[in-house]
Amino acid sequence: MNFLSLIGIECRKIRRSKILLLLAAAVIIYWIPSILNARLNFTMQAEGISPEHNFMIQGFLGMSWFIFPASMMVSIVLMHQTERAERGMLKMMALPVNMAKLCLAKFILLLMLAVLQLLLMVGMYYVSAAIVTRTQNYAFCLPAGLIFREAGLLFVSSVPMLAVFWLLSVCISTPIFSIGAGLASVVPSVIAINTKIWYVYPMCYPFYVITAEYGKLAENLSEPDLRYPLWIPIAIGVAVVSLLISCLMFGQAERR
Amino acid sequence: MNLLIECKKIKRTGLFPTFFIGGILAGLFPLLDMTFRAERYRKSSQPPIEILFSADWQMMAMLNTLLIIICACFLYYGEYADHAIQKMCSLPIRESRLFLEKFMLMSFLCLFVFVIEGAAFTYCALRWFGGRMDFFPLLTGVFKNFGYCFFLMLPAGLLSLLTASACGNLWTPLGIGVICLCLATMIPVNNPWLSLFPYALPFQMLAGTRAETVIFFVTAGAVECVVILLAELLFLRVRRAFA
Repeated sequence: MNFLSLIGIECRKIRRSKILLLLAAAVIIYWIPSILNARLNFTMQAEGISPEHNFMIQGFLGMSWFIFPASMMVSIVLMHQTERAERGMLKMMALPVNMAKLCLAKFILLLMLAVLQLLLMVGMYYVSAAIVTRTQNYAFCLPAGLIFREAGLLFVSSVPMLAVFWLLSVCISTPIFSIGAGLASVVPSVIAINTKIWYVYPMCYPFYVITAEYGKLAENLSEPDLRYPLWIPIAIGVAVVSLLISCLMFGQAERR
Repeated sequence: MNLLIECKKIKRTGLFPTFFIGGILAGLFPLLDMTFRAERYRKSSQPPIEILFSADWQMMAMLNTLLIIICACFLYYGEYADHAIQKMCSLPIRESRLFLEKFMLMSFLCLFVFVIEGAAFTYCALRWFGGRMDFFPLLTGVFKNFGYCFFLMLPAGLLSLLTASACGNLWTPLGIGVICLCLATMIPVNNPWLSLFPYALPFQMLAGTRAETVIFFVTAGAVECVVILLAELLFLRVRRAFA
């Protein structure tokens, strides 16, 4: 079966799952406190960041720390559970479908959900920036180029993390362990970005990258060093190796 | 008796090991923090328990809340998978009783995690602040603090179970729980009214809090538990009526 049609089928499988509702709810609820606390953006003189930049980057910081990785974990749970319910996986294996291709198609779907959530995030940013502009009488809207750049950076830096999450969920067939491991691994990323060896922990990449952007925007903050020479090779390596292993292991639990 | 059946149901889901590993992970936070940054905390003149709580509790509370969200999802998912809940409903058992038993089981599991975390705190206090406090006052202090945190954990547990009992699949309650937890992390801990959100209550701590605030939160926690329980009873009745 052609790869594109496989992705199309995967999309159809999650059509009635209401996952979009969950992703959208996460983003909408997430911006409400920022709108209510908009006044705090004017008290950031010590960091040397302008209110509109602060409003935007704080939003992206919180997003990259917890809610984005956690909602991706929820999406992964959804994709595995739809396949496990009513032995869907066994039926897929009975069809002339390459398991590795199916695994990759599912991962692409995960990436699509990630893009979708980030687009929702950007949309919601503009809605809340417009509201805050009204309430605070100060122009909070930033040019779209900058916002899409931040969202793009967040997406690209999260690919290794998503690959590791995917690997966890494929290799650990007991769902509670894979979910627990995935969600629990998100929490310590705050500590990980403050260590010297942050680049060995893929779950903190998005948060680290956005923190680095914060450092760039705020004049008085020291900028975390993104130019660690081995970072990008390590990140690509982690993503490729995780995907390779998950393609090999996909469906192993059902094959036994 | 029925509680034993509930225990048997979760035997092969991996909930016990998850709580054990989760407790150990949460207990590692203060240990690692003290190992690497002990000098910074030693300068402070506060009581050891207060230092440890203010340094590490936010992170640990987040892990604990994640654990109970996952636990709630799996406790009910076990019933919904393969329509077991319909078989349970055909037995002479009330659905509300099932809910209460699941809640009790979850509380026991939570208690287990808190014991591990309490042990980690006691060890840290003895190892790094040994000279400041005797063993027994320290132990009672840890006991009181974790008792308070445990009580404030219950509304979040009940609410997670309520959402899990309302949804037939695994990802909806998990997603709702995660969103609520995210919202809770954005609520400032010192804002008493916003902190009444059930998922924000586990982030509260006893050490360094004024007595009236403690009474306020304990009352609020108890009221929330009763309200959520009543809501669940009502929900089950309504669902039954329209099923």
